[in-house]
Amino acid sequence: MSLSPTNEGGYERIQVRKPTDDNNLTGEKDKETEPVPTFIRYSDMATIAPVVEKDAPLKAVQLEALVVMKVIKHCANRSPTTATGSLVGMDVNGTLEITNTFPFPVVDLPAEAQYEQQHFNSAAAAPRAKSNTAYQAEMIRMLREVNVDANNVGWYTSANLGNFVNANFIENQYHYQKELNERTVALVHDVSRSSQGILSIKAFRLSPQFMVAYKENKFTTENLLKSGLKYTDILVEIPVTVHNSHLVNTFLNQVPRMLASGILKAPTSVQEIENNPVVKNDTLAPRFDSLTLNTDPYLSQTADNLLDSVETHHVEANNFSYYQRALAREQAKIAQWQAKRKAENAARALSKQPPLPEDEWQKLFKLPTEPSRLENMLNSRQVEQYARQVDGFVAATSAKMFAVRGNLLPGDGKEE
Amino acid sequence: MAEQDGFIHLGRPLPAVGAQPTIAPLRVVIQPQALFSVLDHCTRRPLDQQRVIGTLLGTRSDADESQIVVHSSFAVSHTETTDQVEVDMEYQKAMLALHLRANPKEVLVGWYATSSELNTFSALIQNHYSSQGEGTYPYPAIHVTVSSEPGKDIEVRTYISASVGVSPERAADSAAFIPIPYTVNYSESDRAGLQGLENAKVQDNRTATILTEIEDLERSLEDTLGLLDRVSKYVENVVEEETEPSTALGQFLLNTLALAPKVDPADIEKDFNNHIQDVLTVSYLANMIRTQMDLSNRLATAQLTMGGGEASGAASTEKDGRRQNRQGGQTRQNRAESLSLANL
Repeated sequence: MSLSPTNEGGYERIQVRKPTDDNNLTGEKDKETEPVPTFIRYSDMATIAPVVEKDAPLKAVQLEALVVMKVIKHCANRSPTTATGSLVGMDVNGTLEITNTFPFPVVDLPAEAQYEQQHFNSAAAAPRAKSNTAYQAEMIRMLREVNVDANNVGWYTSANLGNFVNANFIENQYHYQKELNERTVALVHDVSRSSQGILSIKAFRLSPQFMVAYKENKFTTENLLKSGLKYTDILVEIPVTVHNSHLVNTFLNQVPRMLASGILKAPTSVQEIENNPVVKNDTLAPRFDSLTLNTDPYLSQTADNLLDSVETHHVEANNFSYYQRALAREQAKIAQWQAKRKAENAARALSKQPPLPEDEWQKLFKLPTEPSRLENMLNSRQVEQYARQVDGFVAATSAKMFAVRGNLLPGDGKEE
Repeated sequence: MAEQDGFIHLGRPLPAVGAQPTIAPLRVVIQPQALFSVLDHCTRRPLDQQRVIGTLLGTRSDADESQIVVHSSFAVSHTETTDQVEVDMEYQKAMLALHLRANPKEVLVGWYATSSELNTFSALIQNHYSSQGEGTYPYPAIHVTVSSEPGKDIEVRTYISASVGVSPERAADSAAFIPIPYTVNYSESDRAGLQGLENAKVQDNRTATILTEIEDLERSLEDTLGLLDRVSKYVENVVEEETEPSTALGQFLLNTLALAPKVDPADIEKDFNNHIQDVLTVSYLANMIRTQMDLSNRLATAQLTMGGGEASGAASTEKDGRRQNRQGGQTRQNRAESLSLANL
């Protein structure tokens, strides 16, 4: 069952999943749903898995219900500051199954200190911090003792309306894909989208091209031109699915049980309907949050985010143009110097003196170093993220708005 | 579920036998994460083991510390034979320390077992968890049982214990478990997650993709249509005299229908146009900013090919000219953006 022996923290780590009780439950309980596939899957794993070539690309990410809930809780508790944590699970034939997670310890700061810039990023930088690597190794070692899949498969972070593409994110994921295990993902949980009632979890990886470029850390215009790396090539999104174990499924099925159990007896008054505990406590009843037309907070927040991005872009563009001006100035000076030297040499040649070397300018003048284009690329990627998000939002919202108008003005909508 | 059992928990004075944790009434709130974690542990138990146990962590609140919120849990390995039980306390301590580093506000509140059975071992472990020193003393330790029998519903029960026994030796390995009520608390953001999981619930392979916005809208609309169908069916049945009519329900439906707003069509038209413009503007701007940035970055990289490696003076003035142009574009764009903000 070993997939990829990796060496971490000095000891050899082999990916092993111990047989879980899932099989038993399948056989006894869910006969009608899928008795055969699950049985085959586990027995297959023993024979097929070792043969799987290591470098097959990750095709999908599968989240266990537990992971979804834990990530949501941690991110919601830490909101609006960033929350980060580690993911464990295993890689089964190109599908990364994430089965458990634990948060990284963060230094708890007083509320006002969190707004100071250098402290603010302590949680965001946690996944690559030295102390946390040790914490993670220790935690995984402990989890292995209770049969949890003891392989580190990535990390998660919280985001606010998709504002996660930044240097920190890239650096963390680079650290994971480089140092620990190539097959790791970064999960992004969007807190503000989830609080609107829509679960938003995405999985990302750095593309191989970007890994190479980041390793050399040369994001100059020339290099980018040569490698053809564009901002769209930085991150690769991997489709995410959620998966329930049988027990979780049973549990979820019985949560709204009170409504399902037989016919309610007819109420005697309106108050009784409104205060019916059965209705009030039904936490999984369908909710219609996604039908509300409250667009303003979302729009203004997005516009704010976009403005920030425009500003960043502006700063970067200014830096770059400053660099170009400085470069032009230096080059003009060099040209001047070269012309002078040439004239001098010509004069010396006339008076039969040996010519002075013409490449001395390299010592005299120093060309300015080009600012890294990385920030710019990330910013572009970030804006793309916003744009996509807004598109999705607009699609749903305009549909809703037309529906509302059509409803309130019957017959009127046909003219247009 | 226990809240249906409808029992009442009263504290009763007990004869003092040594150090006693208080058994005053408690309210227990369990967060779904803790339960999911227990269920996960249950599927990962060793094949030969009937039940597994673990530690519950949470917070105590209220003035008299009478509310316990269970935030999370972790598994503790133990072995059980007919005549003895062994709990890996070293592991429990180490894990607790690790957990507290990430969640400094949480404390040990009790333990769970994945079977509804309460036996002598339960009492032993319970007494350990509520003991002085490493246990929860002076607060009572809560014990949550989650039954996991195949083919049956999952039953969650919560208990605290009081010590019983004629002598201190007997009291050490026995306990009277007192059932206490609990609630499962789903926060707003939990619900979003649960809805995602809900989709997987009805699938054969128990997996589901995460819905996009428009899919979510579709689902909500379908739910609404389903409910409307149900109501109209009920009304139809009442009209056909097949179902017993209910005045209360009728009044409730009438009240609900009265909620439909009466608005002037002109107002609707105006509001609609305003809002749809806002929405479309932001979308348009976002995409325009994206294109502009892309363009600007491409221009920045394209210059070098034009100017060549050793840019002469002429090439760099050209560059500057371009740069100026681009700056102009940028400011215009900024202005457009702030205009849209004014609209909002």
